[in-house]
Amino acid sequence: MLKMHNIRKSYRTDTIETHALRDFNLEVKEGEFVSVTGPSGSGKTTFLNIAGMLETASGGQYLLDGEDVSGLNDRDRSRLRNEKIGFIFQGFNLIPDLNLFDNIDVPLRYRGFNAKERRRRIEKVLEQVGLSARAKHLPAQLSGGQQQRVAIARALAGEPRFLLADEPTGNLDSLMARQVMELLEFINEWGTTIVMVTHDPDLARRAHRNIQIVDGQVSDLQHAVAAAEAATA
Amino acid sequence: MLELKPMLSALWRNKISAMLIALQLALTLAIVSNASVIVQDRIEKMARPTGMPVEDLIAVTFQPIAQDYDMHGAVVADLDLLRSIPGVVDATHTNQIPVSGSGSASVFHSQPNQEIGGEVSNYYETGPHFMQTLGMNLVAGRNFTPADMRVVQPNEDARTQVAIITRQMADALYPDGDALGKSFYNSNGTDPVEIIGIVERHLGAWVSWSKAGNVIFFPRLQENNFKRYMVRAEPGRRDEVLKAVEKQLAERDPQRVMHIETLSERLERSYMSDNVMVKVLSAVVTLLTFIVALGIVGLTVFWINQRRKQIGVRRALGATRANISRYFLVENSLIAVTGLALGMAGAQIANHFMVSSYSQPALSLPVLLVCALILVSVSLVAALVPALRAANISPATATRSV
Ligand SMILES: Nc1ncnc2c1ncn2[C@@H]1O[C@H](COP(=O)(O)OP(=O)(O)OP(=O)(O)O)[C@@H](O)[C@H]1O
Ligand SMILES: [Mg+2]
Repeated sequence: MLKMHNIRKSYRTDTIETHALRDFNLEVKEGEFVSVTGPSGSGKTTFLNIAGMLETASGGQYLLDGEDVSGLNDRDRSRLRNEKIGFIFQGFNLIPDLNLFDNIDVPLRYRGFNAKERRRRIEKVLEQVGLSARAKHLPAQLSGGQQQRVAIARALAGEPRFLLADEPTGNLDSLMARQVMELLEFINEWGTTIVMVTHDPDLARRAHRNIQIVDGQVSDLQHAVAAAEAATA
Repeated sequence: MLELKPMLSALWRNKISAMLIALQLALTLAIVSNASVIVQDRIEKMARPTGMPVEDLIAVTFQPIAQDYDMHGAVVADLDLLRSIPGVVDATHTNQIPVSGSGSASVFHSQPNQEIGGEVSNYYETGPHFMQTLGMNLVAGRNFTPADMRVVQPNEDARTQVAIITRQMADALYPDGDALGKSFYNSNGTDPVEIIGIVERHLGAWVSWSKAGNVIFFPRLQENNFKRYMVRAEPGRRDEVLKAVEKQLAERDPQRVMHIETLSERLERSYMSDNVMVKVLSAVVTLLTFIVALGIVGLTVFWINQRRKQIGVRRALGATRANISRYFLVENSLIAVTGLALGMAGAQIANHFMVSSYSQPALSLPVLLVCALILVSVSLVAALVPALRAANISPATATRSV
């Protein structure tokens, strides 16, 4: 599903050059639920951004579904992002001026679905996250947990094969965090590959496999490979 | 793919700033369109045909110093002299300088013994040479002959037997188009003046007069204490002729005060206020358009900065750069079209007031539409640069900024 080989990412500001990722190697198989942990500033978000094509790597090879995406232009990257990848952010990132229905509609419009198909999908995912009654509400009228469920619904509406979540429970209390986690597990059971960055060791343990990023590298590859084998066995 | 519905609901939540820009556009359209009709009107006015080769004409005004001056003799001698100068096409005496802003007028009637009604007309006292000197086009009848001329003393009855009039004046006196050979009268007058010729057009002394173009020429020379000449030079020789005229008239009779100028200068001075009006209004129009463009740039930049995160999120959800730029351009067009629709109504109301209270020209729909179209384009161009820059906001903004 996802294969990174010797990925390198550095940021250059006028004073210093930061190596956010170096010699980064990772493979995620179809259907896996991978949690990513690591100290702050270790490169977790950078990894997720490259995986989701929000940023391009400075070097190395990245294959998504067997396709080398490093050379694609903006249009093709945007289309791939739209079709294959769903994003869930720590800050929910709902568009404040749009109601829930229109928020979920955003990626579907970029996909070019007709109005009927969009409505069908929006109603379906709203039901999946249990917020059908609130379609016309604005994000500000919901609790944090509810907002994150809408964000998940928005990520799911395009039926992506690959769900990327950056600390999806980081802004939620533990009860709501557990609800969101259960939702993600449920989605994973239906076949969606999930990579989730988290600071919560309990949640990290619930994934099939946990990888640790330290200083821009996957730190415990042995453990990760073993866990991967255990998961797919 | 236009996201009109969600765009409208998002706009509705930011309606104050959207409305402010829309209102600014409306106001700009109202002012710009009304200013444009005035500018257009003045430009058309200045572009009217004068009926003369203005560039080739020289105007001379003189006043003798001596009290008992033989004006008739001086005029005959001066005109002979002027016509002998190389480069001179013809010269004539006249009581007034065309398009100069000063001249004579009176009311004339197509029937005798009329006190009310009639038609006001500017009139010349000149001679047979005026036709060639002023380059006029005789469309009916004949020119004056020396026999038609009358030389009159200041207190004498100055009436002549015949006159030549412009077609505009002919149509005013005889709307059926049969003026030639007919007569006209002074107010309360009983003595007819026969119309022996009709010229195509002549603007007359006052360019801003509502009846400019109503002109009558009488074959007459008054022996009063000043006289004017019009001198026509061959094309391109005006300045050379002007120097010769000045020199030779002074040499022939130095005992007089003389003023010589080109007709172009006179015309320019007569149109000065129109020219100033055109320049000031054009400046106002440009300034207002510039200000509204700045406002649009400002608002677009502000909204884009306010929505950086949202733009990043949209990009992360699959928006291409083009999708992002288009969003802001379409949003801008919605505001512009709303504002300009309001502005069209405002412009009509403002124009109604301008027409009724200041007798300014009426605003036509094409002018209004052209102004609106220009402002839509200005608005789009103003939004274009910020909108293109918004497309450069990285999709990583969705995960990076808090
Ligand atoms: N745009 C950028 N410009 C410069 N440096 C950056 C940029 N983005 C990230 N970095 C640096 O790259 C390194 C990795 O950052 P990253 O956000 O991936 O860490 P993280 O593991 O997600 O941290 P956290 O747990 O705090 O979210 C950090 O040192 C960070 O300062
Ligand atoms: Mg992070």
